[in-house]
Amino acid sequence: MLQVKIGSMYVADEFLQKRVESGWKAAEQDKTQRGRPKVLVVDDEKLIVDTISEILEGAGFHVMGAYDGWTAVEAAGRFRPDYLLSDVLMPRMNGVELAIAIRKMYPETTVLLFSGQAGISEILRNGQQQGFEFELIPKPIHPLKLIARLKEQP
Amino acid sequence: MEYGTIKISSNQPGKIAPPTLDPRLHLAAIVASSDDPIISKDLNGTIMSWNEAATRVFGYGVDEIVGQSILRLIPPELHHEEAMILSKLRAGERIDHFETVRVKKSGEKFPVSVTISPVKDAGGRVIGASKIAHDLSDRRKNAESRFQLAAIVDSADDAIISKDLNGIVKSWNEAAYRIFGYTSEEMVGQPILRLIPPDLHYEEDEILRKLRAGERIDHYETIRRKKNGENIEVSVTISPIRDETGRVIGASKIARDISDRKRIERLLIQAEKLAATGRMAAAIAHEINNPLESLMNLIFLARQTSANDGKTNTYLLTAEQELERVSHIARQTLGFYRDTNSPTEVYLHELLENVLTVYNSKLITAGISVDMRFNDLHKVVVSRGEMIQVLSNIIANAIDAMREGGTLSISTRNVISSAGDGIQTVIQDHGTGIKQEYMTRIFEPFFTTKGDLGTGIGLWVTKQLVEGRGGQISVASSTEKGNSGTTITIFIPFSVPAQLIEVGQE
Repeated sequence: MLQVKIGSMYVADEFLQKRVESGWKAAEQDKTQRGRPKVLVVDDEKLIVDTISEILEGAGFHVMGAYDGWTAVEAAGRFRPDYLLSDVLMPRMNGVELAIAIRKMYPETTVLLFSGQAGISEILRNGQQQGFEFELIPKPIHPLKLIARLKEQP
Repeated sequence: MEYGTIKISSNQPGKIAPPTLDPRLHLAAIVASSDDPIISKDLNGTIMSWNEAATRVFGYGVDEIVGQSILRLIPPELHHEEAMILSKLRAGERIDHFETVRVKKSGEKFPVSVTISPVKDAGGRVIGASKIAHDLSDRRKNAESRFQLAAIVDSADDAIISKDLNGIVKSWNEAAYRIFGYTSEEMVGQPILRLIPPDLHYEEDEILRKLRAGERIDHYETIRRKKNGENIEVSVTISPIRDETGRVIGASKIARDISDRKRIERLLIQAEKLAATGRMAAAIAHEINNPLESLMNLIFLARQTSANDGKTNTYLLTAEQELERVSHIARQTLGFYRDTNSPTEVYLHELLENVLTVYNSKLITAGISVDMRFNDLHKVVVSRGEMIQVLSNIIANAIDAMREGGTLSISTRNVISSAGDGIQTVIQDHGTGIKQEYMTRIFEPFFTTKGDLGTGIGLWVTKQLVEGRGGQISVASSTEKGNSGTTITIFIPFSVPAQLIEVGQE
């Protein structure tokens, strides 16, 4: 269906075309990845995002990574994750703010926060005051435990 | 001599007589100027003369009293004294410093010391008596104030000790006995050095040097030794004692037992340390846990891509195990954070069951069986996370103490007490027990009996959390062989402290 649309397009609007193309690619990917749970991994530490992505891919998840909250919100619009795994203490948009945004967009998405910091109670309390409570996993967590955690989620 | 001259000239204005001319005038002046009443009477007890001091002390004027009976000055119940005095006088005897009571014109009675001498005529015949009465009211007052001072000294909470300039104890009050354990009999006459630990003996030389120079020592904090050999922390104030001429003859020493205050000070410092450590831990945690997360992932990935049976795989496996150790200690030491959830209604036995589930594998490995008797019929309002921390700290300690297995008894029940109703949880292990000398310290921060493995935070945090909830925690322990073990009792009242409700409503 999408192919037909592209074929019938006569305006050479490169930007639009690219957007549509990427949308098509995403949809195409979506088809090939069907059945694999989708995880959006967010952390301002690149290395953590990259390594977790590789590990989860290897464990049968479909993963998209983001290095900050805004990028993650944008990515979620296309990716529609089943899971959000996010760091808490990040610049600009923290993990709780991100989780609240995602929960509003996709109430079905399971949210897991992970943090290596003890002093984040203030951020979590802000979430609570708005009526949002999220599960928190301490860092570091062994990859096998993380995988088990994601698999046991409904 | 000049004094007499002035007195005489005032008696006889205009006429200046050399004092040596008439000894009688001289005597009259002395009598007139005496501070003590001087009275003369005849052998019938009739008053013949009356000086100014007599007027001042007894209140009668000369005109009122001269010619009257001396009995007017004697309280009726002592009238018999006069007969005795007169009989002695007739025999030519003198009465020295006879202490008795006399009465003033106002009717007020007062203590006096009287000296009565017979007055003889030229032929040596006794014709009367002179009587010098010394008012003792002041002396009584002095004595009273001395008794009062002694009572104050004895009822003081601080040790009050006096010593001479050789450092020999001269007096020792009740509190000195209470604080140092020596009785007054044991210490008076002994050198004060007995109270000073040998390594501080030099202090006494310095103190004596300052005292001889008339200096005072204020609130000097030091260590002194009790009779039982125990050291105590004291604050001493030492002042020189002077004689009438101002010469320093000794010193008074007031010593206050400040062990309790020092203990509290140390606890405060420790609490400060802990707060600082907490802040630092939070900052470090982020910088350690994030790289640990990456490392763990990287090693995991490296292991997946290396040959399963190769040496590299073995190395990576070991590296992963070592990293697990680091992560564990980082979580333990850097990870204590407070539950910020609002308090909720829970059954304590449910929380206990949760905690026991977590420790299940440890309990099995250590060969510990758990005897549960849950009879808490009511829920309590607690912060789940905090209460889980409390219960798991205690259960973890119990497991650590029971290296050789045994029974861990846990019970809950409703209690009704004068302090309020609530739930009592008793956790009793049959482990090694806590040594008596550690019992008072186990709730102090950074105190641990587990050596390098302990952080000394567990029970301290536990106590803070229980008391913060308005509850109580107590401990009983025995290290007696065959009967050793520790029992921790926690009481959580149903009523929630006001400040917690406020926080919950915020």
